[in-house]
Amino acid sequence: MDTPVPSLYIHVPFCSHKCEYCAFYSELLKPEQVQRFVESLCGELKQLGPALQPRTIFFGGGTPSILSLHQWETILDCMHGMGWGQIPEWTVECNPATVSKEKAQLLKQGGVNRISMGVQSMDAHLLERLGRIHSREQVFRSFEILRGAGFENINLDLMFGIPGQDLKIWHDTLDTIHALNSEHLSAYEVIYEDDTPLFHQMKAGAFDVDEDLIESMYESLIDRSTAAGYHQYEVANFARNQTSQSPYDVPHWACQHNIHYWRAGDYHAAGPSSTEYVQGVRRQHVSNTSLYCDGVQSGGRGIVSEETLIPPVQQGEWAAFAMRMNQGLDFKLFEERFGHHPTQLWGEQMQSIQSRGLAVVEKDHFRPTPLGMRFADAVGSEFVYLQD
Amino acid sequence: MDPDLIRNFSIIAHIDHGKTTLSDRLLNLTGTISDRDMEAQLLDSMDLEKERGITIKAHPVTMYYNAKDGKRYELNLIDTPGHVDFAYEVSRSMSACEGALLIIDAAQGVEAQTVANLHLAMKQNLTIIPVINKIDLPHADLEQALVQLEDILAIPREEAIPASAKNGIGIEEILEAIVQRVPPPKPTGAPSTQALLFDSYYDTYRGVVTHVRVFNGALKAGSPVKLLHSGKNVEVKEVGSFNPKPYKRDELTAGETGYFTANIKSPLDIKVGDTLTDAKHPSPPLPGFQEIHPMVYSGIYPINTADYEHLKANLAKLQLNDAAFVYQQETSVALGFGFRCGFLGLLHLEIIQERLRREFEMDIIATYPSVVYQVTMTDGKVEEIDNPAHLPATNHIETIEEPMVKSFIICPNDYIGDMMALVAEKRGLLVHTETLDGSRVMLTCRIPLGEILIDFHDRIKSLTRGYGSMDYEHDGYEASDMVKLDMLVNGESVDAFSCIVHRSKAESRGRSLAAKLGEVIPRQQFQVAIQAAIGGKIVARETVRALRKDVTAKCYGGDITRKRKLLEKQKEGKKRMKSVGSVNIPQEAFVQVLKS
Repeated sequence: MDTPVPSLYIHVPFCSHKCEYCAFYSELLKPEQVQRFVESLCGELKQLGPALQPRTIFFGGGTPSILSLHQWETILDCMHGMGWGQIPEWTVECNPATVSKEKAQLLKQGGVNRISMGVQSMDAHLLERLGRIHSREQVFRSFEILRGAGFENINLDLMFGIPGQDLKIWHDTLDTIHALNSEHLSAYEVIYEDDTPLFHQMKAGAFDVDEDLIESMYESLIDRSTAAGYHQYEVANFARNQTSQSPYDVPHWACQHNIHYWRAGDYHAAGPSSTEYVQGVRRQHVSNTSLYCDGVQSGGRGIVSEETLIPPVQQGEWAAFAMRMNQGLDFKLFEERFGHHPTQLWGEQMQSIQSRGLAVVEKDHFRPTPLGMRFADAVGSEFVYLQD
Repeated sequence: MDPDLIRNFSIIAHIDHGKTTLSDRLLNLTGTISDRDMEAQLLDSMDLEKERGITIKAHPVTMYYNAKDGKRYELNLIDTPGHVDFAYEVSRSMSACEGALLIIDAAQGVEAQTVANLHLAMKQNLTIIPVINKIDLPHADLEQALVQLEDILAIPREEAIPASAKNGIGIEEILEAIVQRVPPPKPTGAPSTQALLFDSYYDTYRGVVTHVRVFNGALKAGSPVKLLHSGKNVEVKEVGSFNPKPYKRDELTAGETGYFTANIKSPLDIKVGDTLTDAKHPSPPLPGFQEIHPMVYSGIYPINTADYEHLKANLAKLQLNDAAFVYQQETSVALGFGFRCGFLGLLHLEIIQERLRREFEMDIIATYPSVVYQVTMTDGKVEEIDNPAHLPATNHIETIEEPMVKSFIICPNDYIGDMMALVAEKRGLLVHTETLDGSRVMLTCRIPLGEILIDFHDRIKSLTRGYGSMDYEHDGYEASDMVKLDMLVNGESVDAFSCIVHRSKAESRGRSLAAKLGEVIPRQQFQVAIQAAIGGKIVARETVRALRKDVTAKCYGGDITRKRKLLEKQKEGKKRMKSVGSVNIPQEAFVQVLKS
């Protein structure tokens, strides 16, 4: 038997409303469909059980918090049955509009110890613009409920570059969120994904994208979050620490699950449209809940595509994602995994990156500079491998 | 054939005044082509020619006409390229004739091209037979056309023949006039054969087919002949005429027109205007030969660099039928591998580019065209410069002379002011103004060729709502205050945008180029300065502000493959970019500026 896989991602593909910017797979909530999904998910987890020994679990979506108390009980029972009661980091994504005291308590007692809440903005007008179902007040209330239920590790998700958002609104959101004192923040720029309403509005000229403004927003995100006591450990992620740290340490409250992704760790996934990566093979589930359920009920997993990454692709991916983190590319870890020293593979590229002030070659690491973190795509593209 | 029974003539006309229709009608009436073939028959063969109403390549056609005097005459219609870009070819074709039909549209009157072509015909001492065409149109004004004929062209009105080529009116009269007024060819008195080469084309099966007019002696298969200017000796393989399809004849005698083939493989070996003579007993050359030189140069590049070889092959194909078109390899920092191409003029340049795009379906980009400057160096040497990159340093230059043209602009009275302003803007000098009739004037001006290359003709058309017309003839060189304008990106010159311009225009051109480049050069991680420089002096500057970050996207498990693919695409894209110093610029950006 191979080494057990240490991470698990579970996709809950339901939302009560589809947001204007969202390109993730989700369906509008239909009770009988949700019930069938819960059963199928448990079925798939039982199949995966023997291969897993999770140290991190992440429930994403969709809106996992939309599941009813009863449905959550079913899922939690199933997971406890596999011996997964005490997981070092177990995250569930919540929408501020769907958090209740009972649900929060149930999750906490069931072993969930981290909540990631999609706040996006604290501006009522922008929340409406994005098609979010929650209000500014619900963010405060939900946060209080979660704290009350004993959650000591909470992430808040923010968005910047939203059409209509100016620097003042952004600063107000940042200041309000910082005041809540969550352990973790992630903030990302609105991406105009194909086939989202926002994308079509932009193409139709409903608004202009002001790159200058977005750049300023990113700068104040870093400045203000740092001043508020957060450490940037990845391009879009910030966390608090317990003690003072060097700029290259991973902060205490960093998301271990995501770090595992970025270090090209193996993880299994369950649920429609979710992707897993195990031993150099990336597999994706079908992006359709009915077909997924059919697949699991007939003894399979509903996997529809499989990509085997050849070593140069794995290496390029590893380096590109490592350079998105403050830690940078760890020469020793890389060499242990691939048998090559990164300077053998990319000596020239690393010199070029260094000469542009984007990273520094150290004894054991290739470290991105603060500038390099801002140009993570430019840096990453130097490492990826082009197959003909 | 008895030279007294031969008449050689050409037809000159403005676009759309009915040259092709009249030619067809003459062929039809003389029985050269049947009614049935009329529809399918057109002297112009390329689509582009039909569309633009111009003739680029045409064959001489031989027809036989039984005149009222009871004699049977051989009439040779020698078609001319009809545009002054090809002035030399036109003049050679005309020198194969003794007369010319001058067609004027009864509804539109004299146009600029009529004037330019008539000047060429008069220089050749041709007998002019004016034909007022389209007299049956509702807007026809025969009287006005006759007045213009006398006033503008100084041709007596009695000589004009009213006609309608479309409806067959006046055709017989025209044929009679050709017989009676055009003088028969006269032998030159030279000791042996003399024939003028006035055109050639490439035939896949027969090789180079050359159009000739025999002036003295005779030309037949098997004769060893000498091409006097190119110094080549060849043996004639076949002689013949066109009706309008080529047909073999035993010989071409003095005064006759037709074609010959020989073992000539490359069209470049045939020089238009050359004299063919007996190899053993050569006669002196016929007058008027000139080496032809391109007047306008432009770089042509494949948009997709992989198309380079393909472009090279297609340029060679074009050259087979167009020896006046020249090209050689060149490399540009911005555009990669391409060709420096030389053209006779503006229309020639447009035609070649259009043919590459349409007939050969090539995706190409052309650099800003340049004329040929005569640069006198401080040491007294004179150099011809057709590429700004080759212009010597200022301290070695004594003077720069630019080619001039004499331009004829005909427009309605209402637009005189606009035309004069345009001419002034183009650094032109109004030489002469003439009233054509109650409503139109003809302006004659002297303008630098370099100024009319880009939008002169289009501007005239749009300023006059399509009523204006323009043509020109070359008119020597003139010293001018020309400077080299360079576009610099972070201090590095971008060759595709360098140009030689008049000092008075350098700054505004530099400013507009800098602004355009500023729009298309993508932002980099550092600030990019775009400067326009004359010599060492910066005359315009634009700044592309530095990017402060990349896209900052969420990037979780399910996004990794997608993100990697984005990075791969970015890397792929960077490979296709051109580096100017440390600035990476996609070729499309350059193309966009050149197109605008």
